[in-house]
Amino acid sequence: MALVTDSAAVQQIHLPEENRKPEPQIAEHKRIDRSIEARLRGRVTGAFIVAVLLTIFVGFLSWRNARLAADDADWMIHTYAVMDTLELTSKQLIEVETSARTFGLTGQDALRAHYEAAKATIGQHQETLRHLTADNPNQQQRLDMLEPQIRTALEFAEGVVAKRLRLQESPDSRDILESERMMNAVRATAQEIQAEEMRLLSQRTQSTNARRRLTSFIIVAGILVGAVLLALGWLAVNREIDVSAHGREELKVLNASLEQRVEQRTTALQSEIIERQQAKQALARKAEELASSRQALEAQTLMLQSVLDSMTEGLAAVNEQGQFVIWNTAAEKILGMGATDLASPKWTGHYGLFLSDTVTPFPTEELPVLRAIRGDVSTTEMFVRNHRLPQGAWIEVSAGPRKDAHGVICGGVAAFRDITKRKADQREIQKLNDELENRVVQRTAQLETANKELEAFSYSVSHDLRAPLRHISGFSLMLVEEFGSRLDPTAQHYLDRIQSGTKKMGLLVDELLNLARVGRHSLSLRPTKLNSIVTEVTAILEPDTQGRQVEWIIADLPTVECDPILVKQIFQNLLANSLKFTRPRIGAGSSAQAGTHGPEHTVIEISHQVKDGQPVFTVRDNGVGFNMKYVDKLFGVFQRLHSAEEFEGTGIGLVTVQRIVHKHGGRVWAEGEPDKGAAFYFTLGAGNPVELKSTGATAGGQS
Amino acid sequence: MNSENLDILLVEDNKDDMDLTLHALKREKLANHIFVARDGEEALDFLFCRGAFAQRSFEHPPKLVLLDLKLPKVDGMEVLKQVKSDPRTKNIPIVIMTSSKEERDLVSGYNLGANSYIQKPVDFDQFRETVKSIGLYWLVINQPAPVSSLTKAAGQASR
Repeated sequence: MALVTDSAAVQQIHLPEENRKPEPQIAEHKRIDRSIEARLRGRVTGAFIVAVLLTIFVGFLSWRNARLAADDADWMIHTYAVMDTLELTSKQLIEVETSARTFGLTGQDALRAHYEAAKATIGQHQETLRHLTADNPNQQQRLDMLEPQIRTALEFAEGVVAKRLRLQESPDSRDILESERMMNAVRATAQEIQAEEMRLLSQRTQSTNARRRLTSFIIVAGILVGAVLLALGWLAVNREIDVSAHGREELKVLNASLEQRVEQRTTALQSEIIERQQAKQALARKAEELASSRQALEAQTLMLQSVLDSMTEGLAAVNEQGQFVIWNTAAEKILGMGATDLASPKWTGHYGLFLSDTVTPFPTEELPVLRAIRGDVSTTEMFVRNHRLPQGAWIEVSAGPRKDAHGVICGGVAAFRDITKRKADQREIQKLNDELENRVVQRTAQLETANKELEAFSYSVSHDLRAPLRHISGFSLMLVEEFGSRLDPTAQHYLDRIQSGTKKMGLLVDELLNLARVGRHSLSLRPTKLNSIVTEVTAILEPDTQGRQVEWIIADLPTVECDPILVKQIFQNLLANSLKFTRPRIGAGSSAQAGTHGPEHTVIEISHQVKDGQPVFTVRDNGVGFNMKYVDKLFGVFQRLHSAEEFEGTGIGLVTVQRIVHKHGGRVWAEGEPDKGAAFYFTLGAGNPVELKSTGATAGGQS
Repeated sequence: MNSENLDILLVEDNKDDMDLTLHALKREKLANHIFVARDGEEALDFLFCRGAFAQRSFEHPPKLVLLDLKLPKVDGMEVLKQVKSDPRTKNIPIVIMTSSKEERDLVSGYNLGANSYIQKPVDFDQFRETVKSIGLYWLVINQPAPVSSLTKAAGQASR
């Protein structure tokens, strides 16, 4: 028992361990957070770098293109300047030419001034041109070609002017043609230069346009990319805000749960500590208990041993393997030897065990202690004879299974005692019994004979005793009748006394015989309607009611299982009794006044009621009654409560009633009060009611 | 004795009873011809017309047999048994008149074919009344079985 409690305590101590599981959720959260953070940080950094690079790139491109556009504009201005100068040069040259020719034709001085002014500007223009086209070797070459042509034209115009001045002559057609040709040449070269400049212009315009488009594209693209990045950044940041908000929430929850866990853990730990302390205390107590129970066990073992050894019955216990674990002193004494290590099949031979015939070895498998291991409880007698018990002994073995705490059979126990003396006694008893049996048979036969003799006796009483009475009665009557006139009154009176004496004796004999017959009568039970019996009896008693007013109150009686002949006797005796003792109640006046229920007329009531499931029948009268202190005498043979002068009778009628009632297994008793009446009650024990009607009494009058 | 017009065969061993019965019967003037057998054997001889009564004929049986049960030699039951088991005599009315009211006597009497069973009352007045009633019934009121058929069968059987 102690062990079991200990392990329970240990279990209790270890119980909280189950709450000590690690909390992986938090670690997981941390791990997930870290990876998300790293990824996010990477992404954000990448996006930031891309955005910076893009901005630098777009800025650079814009800056460069702005520069290039400025250059282009410079170049275009330059080209336009070249073209303007060229055109101015051509116009001045034409002015010079025209002025020179017109002066040549007219000789007007105004023209010559005009010519001179124009001629002066051309030189300036030529220098400007040379300066403007300094970067372009092709144009320089063309200028190199143009400048001599201009010079030639100017020299020609000079010649015209000079010719006028000096010769007063006008230019001829040949001069004009010549001038025309020279002008055309100048024009052609100028156009060439112009064309070149135009080409350059167009080329620059084209490249400018292309660059502008590219720049626009880059800027737009840059802006778009920037916008996308910004948008992405916004999204990322937003998401991050969400994530961090969510994270904060989770964190809160986690924190809360963590706190809760910490709390729980703390509580658990506290209770664990308390439990450990309790367990420690319990263990200490257990240890104490164990120590004391060990002492108790030792004491018990000692006691058990002393009990076992002090037993007069032999006690042997075996374990499941059929090895003896207990073998007390008495066992050794009874069987003549101690416990054996031999295997069970050899026990019969070892101890010398035999069946009741004292010679057949006891079948090993049927040995009570081995049967007990199989779960049988048995008591067996056997005979033991071995070298220690050469005389042999009878033993009685009672064996039953031994069960462990779980009710599982773990062996068997056999108790045995030496019954050698008892066996001898039994034989003696058997002998005596047999003798007794014989005697009983003899006595029964004797009794049967005696019974037959008694029957014969009662038979002869009936026959032989009645006959002489009849003779006395007959001859005395004959004497009265035939010689009455010759007899004196005293003699007649004596004869009357003889008559009444014989009558009484006849009655007595009849009733005694009746009583004897009831005793011998064997019950023949059958369902009987009691009302029909009562009716029969009242008819028989009709003569006794002559000259009296008798009111019969007869209830509806049940049908019961009884012997109708005997029960009829009961009613006959009881009703006759009632009639007899109500004789003073002769009724008021004559029978013509039937129905007058005065206190003076006889009332006999027959009824029944159910008591304890059994019908109780009652015959009640309003006769002279009796004193209850004499009630015990009512049912005694020849016992009478009234003198023969008052009420004739034999004192046998009620005894007969009692005998019949007893024969039925019933009970009869009486109640009475002097001068008030008597009531007789009886049951018919054997006669259980076949059909019980309601106890409501139905009065049936008869008089 | 004129046995041809026999009214009653009284089987009675007790002389007192015999006298009283005869006295009663005669007082009532019911039977003029009465034969008294004093034991069972005599009764049987009489009824079976043998021995001392060999000259008797089955053709003239008694109109009534009043039979006591307790009889010397052959008891009443045996007489009853023999009479009722013989076809020649079985129709003769037999009334058992005895002091005993033993049930077994009643039962065996009726089983053997007794025509009636009377317990002799102790009171002589009652006794006389009883005897009177029996005589009146069996000798006056009752119609006996025709004798001719009986005697034929009887004649064959007895010889």
